[in-house]
Amino acid sequence: MNCRDVEPLLMPYVDGELVDGERVQVEQHLTVCPPCARHADVARHNRTLVRTLAKQGSPAAPQALRDRVLNTVRATEQHRRQRQVLRLSAAAAGVALCAVVGHGQWRSFQRRLYAEDAVRRHARQFPLEVRIPQPEALEAWFDGKLGHRVAVPRFPNAVAEGARVLNVREKQAAYIRYDAPAGASVRPRQVGLFVFGDTGNDVDVGARGDADLRNSNGYNVVSWRDGDLVYQLVTDLDEDDIRSLLPPEPRPRRGELPSQVQPRPPLEVQPAAFRP
Amino acid sequence: MLGFSKSDKARAEFEALVAPWLDALYAGALRLTRNERDAEDLVQDTVMRAYRFFDKFERGTNFRAWLFKILTNTFINGYRRQVKERSLGDESERQSVEAQFFSADTTAQTQNPEEYLLHRVMSEDVLAAIDALPIDFRLVVILADLQEFSYKEIADILDVPVGTVMSRLFRGRRQLEKVLRDRERGALQQPLVDLNAYRERKKLG
Ligand SMILES: [Zn+2]
Repeated sequence: MNCRDVEPLLMPYVDGELVDGERVQVEQHLTVCPPCARHADVARHNRTLVRTLAKQGSPAAPQALRDRVLNTVRATEQHRRQRQVLRLSAAAAGVALCAVVGHGQWRSFQRRLYAEDAVRRHARQFPLEVRIPQPEALEAWFDGKLGHRVAVPRFPNAVAEGARVLNVREKQAAYIRYDAPAGASVRPRQVGLFVFGDTGNDVDVGARGDADLRNSNGYNVVSWRDGDLVYQLVTDLDEDDIRSLLPPEPRPRRGELPSQVQPRPPLEVQPAAFRP
Repeated sequence: MLGFSKSDKARAEFEALVAPWLDALYAGALRLTRNERDAEDLVQDTVMRAYRFFDKFERGTNFRAWLFKILTNTFINGYRRQVKERSLGDESERQSVEAQFFSADTTAQTQNPEEYLLHRVMSEDVLAAIDALPIDFRLVVILADLQEFSYKEIADILDVPVGTVMSRLFRGRRQLEKVLRDRERGALQQPLVDLNAYRERKKLG
């Protein structure tokens, strides 16, 4: 090999990209040709310097980006899963998806998924960001963290353990965890309360909107709406224990006729304090 | 009915695979987009796409190269249009670049022997010099020198022949070193020479 043959091979040689035969030939030439040896040395030196400096000057991915990326992956996963569930139920019905699920059904299906996801989130026992029992202090803590105000309801029979921000489906929600009295059961139970901002009526709170109780995956979920806010209370307490958690129901006033068919008495909570 | 054990497993697998490369993706995205906000968006888009196509990823193959292929494609198809980029353009220009590699370029190299870059060069100078490269050179320099991919990997990522990778890398590095040497020589206290001004000067001189 002469210098002209070696020139175009110097860069790949320095990059370690030459196959054995060529590499040996280049190495042999470099031992007998100082100018080419210098070219190779310069190329190697500059390559190392550029690589080192470029890497040193490159910042790590910001933590907020890491969090955002992984959160979005999780959110996508939920979406995919919901589509799968829907596809399965459609398949079970033996009809095409588009035929079964009209827009309204799709939407009501979507709206109901908040309860399921809230259950999943509550069950995972995510660490709390703050541990304070006073509703006022919790409201102050949430102030500015979410795109909506957070009014923390006062339950006479349960004490807040603490709170955090938690995503339910694509919505950011305030999450407050309460310790509930043991009630009939032996161990104390936990209650998770999610507070969503929901101007778009995305979350299903039942037909009446005041308090809808449903069972999801072994948990009871009580949902209600208060203006733009939607509350979802998730617990493994049974219905009676939930009622004991809440303030007693006003008795029917004297003179009123008891209704023939007892409707499910609405579950009431005291209006939440609101710090403007 | 919440049967999520299987997809949770896939998600966990994906997260474990992608997490170690977020810094590298961000570093590459910063050099491509040249600003932090676009770089963050590009990384996010890249990871979301990767996740969406994760079932297409062949287990056991080069995940890092696969991620960077998605990163560069996402950049080329989306971000590049927003940022006006000087490109080598059409295929004929590419071929002529490649043809020159083994003739004019090597002659030029022989006639103007390379010089050592001094350790006075700073990280910021190197990054600014990379940022000033035309996109086709920049892509190859980023993949080769910042990410340390092999020629073959880069060829796969960019869907070009290995010869094209070599010629672009050669020219890109040469341009980079020239800018850095110029900076070393005279303009240490001045901001880095703008590459377009530099080209104009070269034409006149
Ligand atoms: Zn020689």
